[in-house]
Amino acid sequence: MKRAVRVLAGARPRPLPALALVLTLVAGGFAAWTGQDWYRAAHDDRAAYAAQRDAALAAGEQAVQNLNTLDHRDLDRGLDLWESSTAGELHDQLASGRDEFAEQVKAAKTVTTARVLSGAVTELDDRAGRARVLVALRVTVRASDGAKTDKDSRMLGELTRTGGRWKLSALGQAPVGGTPAG
Amino acid sequence: MSTTRHHINRQRRRRDRETRSAAVDASPERAGGRTRAGGTAVLPAPRASSAARTAGPAAARTAGPAAARTAGPAAGPVARDGGRRERKTGRTAGLAVLCALTLLLGGFAGWARAQAEALRAEPARGNTALTDVARTSEIKGQTAKAVGLLFSYDHTEPDALGKAAKDLLTGKAVGQHAALLADVRKRADERKAVITTTVTESAVERIDGDRARVLVYADQSSVATAGAESSTGGGAKGEDGADARDEGVYAGAVLAVDVVHRDGRWLVSGIDTFGR
Repeated sequence: MKRAVRVLAGARPRPLPALALVLTLVAGGFAAWTGQDWYRAAHDDRAAYAAQRDAALAAGEQAVQNLNTLDHRDLDRGLDLWESSTAGELHDQLASGRDEFAEQVKAAKTVTTARVLSGAVTELDDRAGRARVLVALRVTVRASDGAKTDKDSRMLGELTRTGGRWKLSALGQAPVGGTPAG
Repeated sequence: MSTTRHHINRQRRRRDRETRSAAVDASPERAGGRTRAGGTAVLPAPRASSAARTAGPAAARTAGPAAARTAGPAAGPVARDGGRRERKTGRTAGLAVLCALTLLLGGFAGWARAQAEALRAEPARGNTALTDVARTSEIKGQTAKAVGLLFSYDHTEPDALGKAAKDLLTGKAVGQHAALLADVRKRADERKAVITTTVTESAVERIDGDRARVLVYADQSSVATAGAESSTGGGAKGEDGADARDEGVYAGAVLAVDVVHRDGRWLVSGIDTFGR
């Protein structure tokens, strides 16, 4: 009974501050947990890698499409786009062969357009800034007489990151009848 | 804490005052018992207080509640008023701070959670192709194998294709595969051909949990074996395979294959030949 009296008399003013304290501590715990979670989400290496992968693929698809698009009536713009989409050796090749190539296309009077069917990154070295992509293309060539031909291209591209941008540094057709890999 | 003790002590003192006479009556029995046992200890004060304490419950049972009820309200307000008001404002301020802190922390928690969710919802993260190295290579390997089996046909073992289809296909891929292969199969049977498909390159476009999409470059070789005079190798899907001779014809194909993870294996659930 004495105990009961003590509890009754002593505990009465307590519950509110105690409850408030508990709630504050719980809120603090939540804040710490979610804050840490947020920090982890924001500094996730995988996320940064995934972002690079998507950037490389987007740039790769666009560059491959650019290099398979050319209108004989607007050669300069098309070839400028070729050069701006590429880097390294491929860029040098295109730049050095530009005039000759322009003559050929002018003579053939062709309009080439390309549509990306699908693309994917096979390898990505985030630090070195290198990536390898597969880009499947449907290339449409319209000859001067209006004849239209469609052809699917299986491209293998290599990308290099220069100045924060991914550019195509090598491009070729996947060989047919070669040795299987993978 | 001090307030409780304070309060209790005050109550006890009050009770003691009122029950002292009772305690005097009650103590001799117990105190006497103890002195008889201990012999020497003649310390009246502790004995009296311990008596009071032991007598307390008894007294409290009779006098306590009544005293508390009657004396409490009468004496309380006068004695406590000043200090209690100060304490009360201090306590209210403390409570307010705690409440504000709770709201602040709770708000931050909610906001941080929303931020984390928003970051995780980014499409780049949802796709674990390449970021999940083990899974990516597992998918590549199994898809390459599946495509090899599903698009190869040997006229001497016509059942192998059916078995592969049963093992490796699911969903709408079953129909797609049947439609793609029906014609090829018929021609291969006529020409006693062996069609072999080998994946030369593949890349995982997207992995989203237990679903994935793989871009596949495959070579198809078609070899017409023995017999028939008009032994021409029919390229399975190759454009220029129809008229080629014996040696075997290679044709390159592009496929996008959807796969799903079932029972620890990746099954083909969709085949996209890009309209070819």
